[in-house]
Amino acid sequence: MAQTSRVSYLDLIKNGIFKENTIFKLALSLCPSIAVTNNLRNGVLMGIAVLFVQVMVNTTISSMRNFIHPRIRLPIFMLIISGWVTITDMTMAAFAREAYKQMGLYIQLIVAFASILARAEMFASKNKIAPSMFDGIGMGLGFLFALTIISFFRELLGKGSLWGFPIINAKPLLIMILPAGGFFAVGILMGFFNWMEKRFSKKSANISH
Amino acid sequence: MTGKDIVKITLNLVVVYLIGGLILAVVYARTSPIMFKNAIIEKEAALKKLMPDADKIEKMGDWYIHEKHSEYFVAKKGDNVIGYIVQSFGKGYSSYIDTLIAVDNDFKVQRINILGHAETPGLGDEIEADNFINQFKGKDMEHLKVLKTDTTEYIQAISGATISSRAVAEDAVKNGVDFLIKAIKERGAKHGADKQS
Repeated sequence: MAQTSRVSYLDLIKNGIFKENTIFKLALSLCPSIAVTNNLRNGVLMGIAVLFVQVMVNTTISSMRNFIHPRIRLPIFMLIISGWVTITDMTMAAFAREAYKQMGLYIQLIVAFASILARAEMFASKNKIAPSMFDGIGMGLGFLFALTIISFFRELLGKGSLWGFPIINAKPLLIMILPAGGFFAVGILMGFFNWMEKRFSKKSANISH
Repeated sequence: MTGKDIVKITLNLVVVYLIGGLILAVVYARTSPIMFKNAIIEKEAALKKLMPDADKIEKMGDWYIHEKHSEYFVAKKGDNVIGYIVQSFGKGYSSYIDTLIAVDNDFKVQRINILGHAETPGLGDEIEADNFINQFKGKDMEHLKVLKTDTTEYIQAISGATISSRAVAEDAVKNGVDFLIKAIKERGAKHGADKQS
């Protein structure tokens, strides 16, 4: 992965969404994927917030990578992550009051996301600014994608609604919006995702041979 | 690790943290006045929304619950008192829930409004939902009780968020109304005494 000059930006984005999807493939940041996905709106908003922070953190760390002493890289990464999270938090509280009311709770949680620190350590600290930015976009979109799917099924099955609007007039599986249902949803979707990928990659392998 | 390394690492950390701190300070200085202004405007709007009939809402005094500063207000239409509003806090699952409660002259809850909290996203934050908040209309002290079963007489808990539901109904609202009753009665007694003397 160190030779990113050969990899196109589109591949970096695809890599984040499919091959190294934060939740379904790397199994990182599973806590928010369970905690905030019991309705679609929360899942999507959280995904967007993470996308933004991931891109900014990756870009900042990559631009500073030659300056950071390797022995103290972790405290510096943490400062950059929490700095961006706090900036996002304060700016939104001041200028986007309505959105902040809905997202404020989640934004502060992002500081502790393993996925963001992991990308900073694995990618941004070793690569140039542009690829790091696109890696951030890819990972963020992958996270958004995963959270959207999980919360879509959880809200539909648990509450019978989507984005707060009632779709079916019943609660088919109340357990889906409770924490236990989060484990079911993440587990089943993770299995499905990997199964799909296995089939898909087998097929494409057959074609190429 | 050589001495040179120690100097390098220290300098590195100091520089990065200083810059980080500076940036945060600048952002905070820029955003916090707007934030506070927004919070005040929001509180006024929230008071108005709680007592739509009132044309004047006056602050009566301060009180403390869970060692947090709260206020209480009287709502007037013309010269007549039509109710009271009290701010209160409830100890929830992961935060103190900041609540405004409007009561009529008989101290029956008219409306409540959740101003702020940090309860679990997706579970505890359902206390803001209309179908939870609307349950409080017309409840008096005796009926501010949370049940886990279907009920319209009492307050029905949110599934998966019993602690947050309890914090609102049995802590914030109940203690707020209780305080209000005592405070208004005390004031009434004082006023009565003033008039007699």
